[in-house]
Amino acid sequence: MSASTLVIAGRIINQLIRDRRTIVLLVVVPLLIASLVGVSVPDKRILDYTAPAILAVLILFFGFLLTGISFLRERSQGTLERLMASPVSRLDIVGGYLLGFLLFAVLQTMILFFYLIYVLNINYYGDLWQIIVLQILIGIGAVCMGTFFSVLAKNEFQMVQFIPMIIVPQIFLCGLLWPVSQMPEYLQWLANVLPMTYGVEGIRALMLEGQNLLDIGKDVGVLAAYAVGLLVLAALTLRRGRS
Amino acid sequence: MPKSSSGPAVEVEQVSFSYSRQKVLDGLSLEVPVGISFGLLGPNGAGKTTLIRLLVGLLKARAGTILTLGQRPSPRIARLIGYMPQLPSLYAELSVIQNVEFFARIYGLKDRQQRAQRVAEVIKLVDLWEHRKKSVSNLSGGMKQRASLACAIVHQPRLLFLDEPTVGLDPELRVTFWEYFTALTRQGATLVISSHTMDDAAHCDQLAFMRNGRVIALGSPDELRQATGQAKATLEDAFLHFVRRQEKQGVG
Repeated sequence: MSASTLVIAGRIINQLIRDRRTIVLLVVVPLLIASLVGVSVPDKRILDYTAPAILAVLILFFGFLLTGISFLRERSQGTLERLMASPVSRLDIVGGYLLGFLLFAVLQTMILFFYLIYVLNINYYGDLWQIIVLQILIGIGAVCMGTFFSVLAKNEFQMVQFIPMIIVPQIFLCGLLWPVSQMPEYLQWLANVLPMTYGVEGIRALMLEGQNLLDIGKDVGVLAAYAVGLLVLAALTLRRGRS
Repeated sequence: MPKSSSGPAVEVEQVSFSYSRQKVLDGLSLEVPVGISFGLLGPNGAGKTTLIRLLVGLLKARAGTILTLGQRPSPRIARLIGYMPQLPSLYAELSVIQNVEFFARIYGLKDRQQRAQRVAEVIKLVDLWEHRKKSVSNLSGGMKQRASLACAIVHQPRLLFLDEPTVGLDPELRVTFWEYFTALTRQGATLVISSHTMDDAAHCDQLAFMRNGRVIALGSPDELRQATGQAKATLEDAFLHFVRRQEKQGVG
């Protein structure tokens, strides 16, 4: 990791800290969503089953949205151009974004996790650190996905349209609402190529079955492969010297 | 900032560039000597911004050669180069000092004490010290331009590209900006400044008049004025003189 990556991450953290309203919303909105699910699901067993998936899905959603919009702003206000004309590499830029937003993703995960456990009384068996590692992996994928798709959007309105296109299908098909195995075969095929399916499967195994990261090696592997692939794609979209 | 004794600061040879099918630069060649202010003058659409984007490595030429400080544009040489884009291009949520500090670190000013000193120096130079803790979003247009200039010069670049730096500035601030630019060239830096106003042109040591992606004339403001053959010719007259000559030659 280069010094420039840390400098860029530090700048992102500074930007978010100075934007207090966004910070408050980042904490409050996931808690509101979790509360809504908590009071609307009458059966405690269903809530236990749904809560881990909500944890994973919210990281995907906020990671994608925050990074996508931030990168888009970086482009539209011209600061990305300025960065690209500087000595930093494109991996420094994407790496800086990753680090900066992951810090918030981890904080968000922990706040949401403790809220689910202590306020909504969710039962869980796994280790907190293992849950955080998996969440970080989902977060890396979400941040890289946001960076990559921000290239295809010319403004915030277009970026928001990627939510129903990229995020909502993953929420519907990841097993949050009903098990993937009960879906029609063609939807199961589709679900099995989407990263979130592995994220939800993995976090349920950690939290509900008390398994460890080695036990869910396949889910971790697929999520890591997606994260690396999207990281490379995101960095490639930031080409210096386009012809 | 030591003056380089070998070769020009910028060499552009037979460079062409197109966006889709629209040709923006057409076999353009020019050289910028070290330690001067060099103006790229021309109307909107002449290719000035595209040329600057090529020179800082944001775009890649389809044909021709570009050398800045004797090397092809790359992240390695970027450390010695400063770039002020047309838009202020700053982080709106951050304060002036945070923006300048960020670019100082990006350009490799590692020593904390030296960096703090240099950051303070450039903020004072652009007369924003009193406003250093204000968010950029709360600054006026002219202040943003000044903060943008501070970010571009904080690492003491040997070569500085300024894309329309005086656009939208009031006359007083425009004079102040030219004082900064003159001070920078006195310290040995080379400045390449794009503009479409003849007021800016008069301040430059050398000029390239650009039109339709080509250089139609090169020289000092005096040389270009004299080329018209009129005793009291302005730079505007000189520009029109070369435009007519280009049209007579049937180019562009």
